[in-house]
Amino acid sequence: MSKNRKIIVILTIILLGIVLFLANLFVGSVKIPFKDILDVLLKANNDNSLNTIILNYRLPQAITALLAGSALAVSGLLMQTLFRNPLADPSMLGISSGASLGVGVVILLTGVITSTSVSSLGWWSTIGVSLAAFVGAVAVLFLILAFSTKTKNMATLIIIGLMIAYIASSVTDILKFFSMKEDIHAFVIWGMGSFSNVGTERLTTLSISVIIGLLASFFLSKNLNVLLLGDTYAENLGLNIKRNNLIIILISGYLTAIVTAYCGPVAFIGLAVPHIARFIFKSSDHRLLLPMTMLIGTDLALFCNVIARIPGFDGNLPVNAVTAFIGAPIVIAVIIKGNKVVK
Amino acid sequence: MQILKTHSLSIGYTNKTIASDIDIALEAGDIVALIGPNGAGKSTLFKTLSGHLKPIAGTIEINGENAENVTAKERAKMMSIVLTERPDDMFLTVREIVASGRFPYSGMFGKLSENDDEKIKESLEIIGIKHLSNRLFNTLSDGERQKVMIAKSIAQDTPIIFLDEPTAFLDYPSKIELFSILRRLSKEQKKTIIFSSHDLELLLRYTDSLWVMGKQLPFIKGRCSELLKNGKIQEYFNLQDTDNEYLTNRI
Repeated sequence: MSKNRKIIVILTIILLGIVLFLANLFVGSVKIPFKDILDVLLKANNDNSLNTIILNYRLPQAITALLAGSALAVSGLLMQTLFRNPLADPSMLGISSGASLGVGVVILLTGVITSTSVSSLGWWSTIGVSLAAFVGAVAVLFLILAFSTKTKNMATLIIIGLMIAYIASSVTDILKFFSMKEDIHAFVIWGMGSFSNVGTERLTTLSISVIIGLLASFFLSKNLNVLLLGDTYAENLGLNIKRNNLIIILISGYLTAIVTAYCGPVAFIGLAVPHIARFIFKSSDHRLLLPMTMLIGTDLALFCNVIARIPGFDGNLPVNAVTAFIGAPIVIAVIIKGNKVVK
Repeated sequence: MQILKTHSLSIGYTNKTIASDIDIALEAGDIVALIGPNGAGKSTLFKTLSGHLKPIAGTIEINGENAENVTAKERAKMMSIVLTERPDDMFLTVREIVASGRFPYSGMFGKLSENDDEKIKESLEIIGIKHLSNRLFNTLSDGERQKVMIAKSIAQDTPIIFLDEPTAFLDYPSKIELFSILRRLSKEQKKTIIFSSHDLELLLRYTDSLWVMGKQLPFIKGRCSELLKNGKIQEYFNLQDTDNEYLTNRI
């Protein structure tokens, strides 16, 4: 791809992001004229109900989608390069299952022990769920990191991750079996993912956490590139494989843990976006792919969120239903076309 | 000074010694072929010499320094490898792969300096694949891929190059070409080249120096003609009298 074309494509992706971001503010069950939205954003509006809808509801949701999209996309790219497996995604190492177990323990066990449903606890339940998801995800992350120092073989690590995921989900199932109906419902809803649970207060924490992870990932681009040659070549070129694997897993797992804590397990963005980025730019250079997966991840998450909120689907469709529905055909198209390009 | 030297080196894995008492000494510009039947420990010797495996006993000296004291980064500037396994990424270009040889020299974000660019260009020219530099690696023939990996080694700018069975997947003309490339590198660039191969017949014609490994047999080294005359090659490869006569006549 020529340099000029590359710049045009990058600008298009950014522009698309801006349009989708505005669409996220515009689309919803309450119709608000576009001019009013701009007024609210420019603080030129005194209508309190409009301010509330946009500033407290739609804006945080759009920013959450933007952050979650880029974080998951980068996390997926790191996993795909680390395992040199196009099917790798952020949930690969059991980190999302760990989060689910954490949330399961809090939602379901609270019900069993205190005989009150967690969902009736209101605001505290949101914080509790996020915290539980984070603790669960990080617990699995550390377990995986411990195993990764023992082996250079990535296949071993994938199997270990898969087994941990099985154990976590079986424990979650046991918890479900003994739980109250309302709690199971709450748990299922959490599992469908949502960008709407992050209010204005918690948005700062999410933003800072995600940005730290994304910035850290930039320091990996040189090592990720050399990993594409295979471990033996990379090691011969002076790369410390075990330490490098540990850092990649740490950053990828951290990003997944953060997003899962705030939005639930959002599927497919992490799997689909790296494929889209590689295909658009016909490149495997991570110095280009990392920033591009961030941008495209943002676009895709914002797009899915708009679809989930189209009037008629009153309230919110579960994000996971939309991401998979849109992501899967994209991946199929990209892989089929990609094969043609190379052959 | 000897660039690569071992003292009573034993190689293998924690509970299994594969070969011991290996004493070798190579100088700049030496080219040596490592032969032996499958399972004799050729790969293990390569991995040990190139620092991927720890020796079980004995020492390795790189440029006069004990290999234990050489950091991974310094080693990356001393020895490069060419393997039978190849990168299989869909979008890697030839230039990107050759450029990865500059990994030990470039900064934190992998930005290439003018000097790096010059080295990459030079490596592509030496191997004669400059015209391929923008091609996708995955679309090349086996022979071309082999050359790309060798160009990567040259870009890595190491005095020592290891090649693991470089003739394995090549057709006959490519094998001959490979041998001439290796010879040129040793003569013109003063590279020390160590490669393993099963192409006994070609080796006898194109190389002088051999290291021979065998199952349950000691490591031996010497000139091709000597090893044939004293019957060592025949012994290590279990050759019959007819093969024997054939090979001796080739020299």
